[in-house]
Amino acid sequence: MIYAIYVFIAIGVFFSFVGTLGVMRMPDVYGKLQASTCIATMGTLSITVAGVLYAIHAGMGVSVCIKLAILLLFVWGTNPVSNHALIKAAYKMGVKPYKEFKIDSYKEEEKK
Amino acid sequence: MEKRSFSSWLGTFIPCFLLWLLLTWSLELREIILGAAVSAIVAWFTARFFIHKKPFFLLNPVKWVHMVVYAVVLVVEVIKANIAMAGIVLSSKCKTCQSGIVLIPAGEDIKSDYALSTVSNAITLTPGTITMDVAEDKTGKNYYYVHWLDLQETDPEKAGEMIKGTLEKYAGRIWK
Amino acid sequence: MTALIIGAIIFTVFDLGLLFVVIKGPTAADRMCAADALDLVTALALVLYSLYSGRAIYLDIALVVGLLGFVGTVFVARYLEGRL
Repeated sequence: MIYAIYVFIAIGVFFSFVGTLGVMRMPDVYGKLQASTCIATMGTLSITVAGVLYAIHAGMGVSVCIKLAILLLFVWGTNPVSNHALIKAAYKMGVKPYKEFKIDSYKEEEKK
Repeated sequence: MEKRSFSSWLGTFIPCFLLWLLLTWSLELREIILGAAVSAIVAWFTARFFIHKKPFFLLNPVKWVHMVVYAVVLVVEVIKANIAMAGIVLSSKCKTCQSGIVLIPAGEDIKSDYALSTVSNAITLTPGTITMDVAEDKTGKNYYYVHWLDLQETDPEKAGEMIKGTLEKYAGRIWK
Repeated sequence: MTALIIGAIIFTVFDLGLLFVVIKGPTAADRMCAADALDLVTALALVLYSLYSGRAIYLDIALVVGLLGFVGTVFVARYLEGRL
């Protein structure tokens, strides 16, 4: 049980590290948004699973487990909405991509 | 957006009240009365955004089984995409990879707004692809505009198969 | 358990890196993206600290931080898009 908690915390820290490094390294806003999804998906999933295991191990009661599950559901439900709003705002602002898009189908939709 | 009706208000009130009970986790009379009042006010204002036609559409055990299967498929897809994303970020590929915005068609049984938003949220939740917009043409067929970080395919059908894969099939079963 | 507090400290170090992107970022959308990620990392650090100290109040704070970050991000994105 203890080792499972260690492994889940390590996975969560690793994927949050990947997301943070991606936000710092990516050259344009589109890449930054794609990398920050890693924190919201695998980081939150692993940390909440580790938290539920620790709450069962330490006997902290059911309410802690339910609050962690609600946190996971909220983050997985709301993060796509904010990412979608931000990438559309960046496109409408006219942020230039670092390398030119190979195919840009959204330009024709914009003209209509 | 439909008119307010009592059954749509009830369908919003019950999840709000359940959420209140789960978050406070106590059965005192004071807490229950306060929670019921707050849930009633919140449901009065927001029922018309949540429920469009049939209020108790999800009260069906077959759909719960489909939801659990869909959640398992989604988690597996997210883990695979995360490992691919880690490969992109940790190598020197993040400055050189070619991105683009592709247009992919939606499946046959994806008709309602709920199904469309479920599939586009799932596409956004996998790292590497973000849905930018949803459009509908004259014949009633729906399309997604997807920004893809590591573009490999520009043909709409093949790109749709690579991005959505099996995910759309399981999501379509919930909202049939 | 020591692993919990070590994880919380590592998440706080990630916060400093994201704060650097918030200050440096070339456009407003870059800054907002980094701020959104900062909210999530702070919420995860609060979850680990609440489990370490055994006080459930930090868990409520983590929930509120995660939700308010989402609301703020959507508002600023709508403003940048020019629809507000």
